[in-house]
Amino acid sequence: MDTIVSLDKLTHDYGNHVALDGLDVDVPAGVTGLVGANGAGKTTMLRILLGLLHPTAGSVTVLGHDALTDPLSVRALVGYMPEGSALPKDQTAADFVAYTAQMAGLPSGDAMRRASETLFLVGLEEERFRYLEDFSTGMAQRVKLAQAIVHGPQLILLDEPASGLDPAGRVQMLDLIRRLGSFGINVIVSSHVLSDIESTCDYVVMLDAGRLVRSGPVVGAHATSTVSVQIIGPADRFTTALSAAGVEYLVDRETIAVTADGDDVFDVIRDAAVSARVGIMRLERRSLTLEDEFLGRADV
Amino acid sequence: MSDAVIYDRGYRSYDGPVGGRWTTRRAIVADGIRRILGLRRKTRRKLLPWALLSLAMLMAGIVVGLHFAAGSISAAITEGLPQYAELFDLFSRLALLFIAVTGPELIGPDRSQGVLSVYFSRPMTVGDYLGAKLAAFVSVTSLIYLVPQIALHLGLASLSADGFLAYLGGNLDILWKIVAVSLAFIAVHGGLLAVITSYVDRTGFAAAAFLGTIIAGRNLAEAIAEASFPGARWFSLLALDVHPRYVRDWLFDSDVGGVYVPEAAGFGPWVSVAVIAIVGTGGAVWMLQRYRRLA
Repeated sequence: MDTIVSLDKLTHDYGNHVALDGLDVDVPAGVTGLVGANGAGKTTMLRILLGLLHPTAGSVTVLGHDALTDPLSVRALVGYMPEGSALPKDQTAADFVAYTAQMAGLPSGDAMRRASETLFLVGLEEERFRYLEDFSTGMAQRVKLAQAIVHGPQLILLDEPASGLDPAGRVQMLDLIRRLGSFGINVIVSSHVLSDIESTCDYVVMLDAGRLVRSGPVVGAHATSTVSVQIIGPADRFTTALSAAGVEYLVDRETIAVTADGDDVFDVIRDAAVSARVGIMRLERRSLTLEDEFLGRADV
Repeated sequence: MSDAVIYDRGYRSYDGPVGGRWTTRRAIVADGIRRILGLRRKTRRKLLPWALLSLAMLMAGIVVGLHFAAGSISAAITEGLPQYAELFDLFSRLALLFIAVTGPELIGPDRSQGVLSVYFSRPMTVGDYLGAKLAAFVSVTSLIYLVPQIALHLGLASLSADGFLAYLGGNLDILWKIVAVSLAFIAVHGGLLAVITSYVDRTGFAAAAFLGTIIAGRNLAEAIAEASFPGARWFSLLALDVHPRYVRDWLFDSDVGGVYVPEAAGFGPWVSVAVIAIVGTGGAVWMLQRYRRLA
């Protein structure tokens, strides 16, 4: 698998605050989610990838270029969609997107044509000659996405692209990102909403307070699942029986979450209930979500 | 049944020509000029810059017209009419207002609207961005200083008793003097504006701060320069907008403004040239340093 971004012991601090703490990550081609709570270091990492911020220590390679010594080569191949408002209110969407294309080196004729095409792609073909001050949050996010892809980058960095959107707008934005991934554009999308990442990305990098929590395929998170059990009778007798059967479990108030490594977990639970002389009130298989994994691994 | 087929064009990567940083700089210059003049913006953004530019051209037209009308009556009357140095004085306040209104538009909104994060994700440096903005500023502000002067020059040439070409040939020095004085005004105003707009995002506040600094600087300089404490005369150099006028009168060998504050304090015109250079380059360097932290 091709590596598009490689971080080696990447560290960055703002005075006493350590934003990134010795990250070692290789990001493969495809759609990658950058997950973490607010302040986890996601935006700092994206700005370092663009060469806009110099890390305190470590090295960064983006699409084969060193982001610290050769940031302009990186930026020629990368598109960036920042978080928050980043649009000039007194320009039309078409003019702004064309202008950003020209800033990436496209001749003016090509820039106008590409602006129309990308605004069409993000669903703003009718509104492209409207002034940006008249745009809703959802439309503004689409314009920001259009400017990030207008010059045909190999990689786009999206910082909280669904931020501030209503549920319908959120779904549409995530669909768009998935669609861009299907066109072969590499995407790194940051979000603090784990379900967004889960539904959009192939690969995930989890950050917590600047430290790497996990990096790997999103599907890997689903490989392990649990079975939630509620019983009638003393819980200690049941858990003792589970321990004797060699399975792992976690007691959360009235629910016992039994880790299911194999297909015979239901048999094991049944046998443990029989030996402990307790009744089974509820039995439910539950997949481990990114959120479970994040909460389980992060220091939260 | 129709044979028409609907294709999903999807996304196609761009494989056309891609220019280097000069393409980027040209794009920023062109956008800067459009922004200052309100082109491809709503009508309300066009009103003020075009009204001021039109007024400057109108004033130049009136001066040429006066020369034409007076010349047909008596050549002696034309000597009392405004010439190059006087024309600078006539529309200098207009130009000051134009710069105060349009200058902050070039820089402030990009910062206040958060667009810098998009722009600096493109393959360019802070120096490319600010250099291109400076080029746009100089291009447009030159218009308001140079075009009326050139109109006057051509008008006077066409009215000359010696003939059009003879007048132009005999007054070649006027051209470089016009350019030099225009650049002196642009350097002082641009340098000061660069420092102010580095910090003040709102264009209205930046314009007010710019005009306030010019007026306050002149009044402060006049008040303190006359004081008797040691070194008081150095405060005369704070009258920033006086320096280009002093240099103008020196170059055109005219006496439009009487005795200027720095002149009264014992400073020659070369000191004013130095102050103009320091304010112009100092403002640009200041802004560059400020943006290196912002970008």
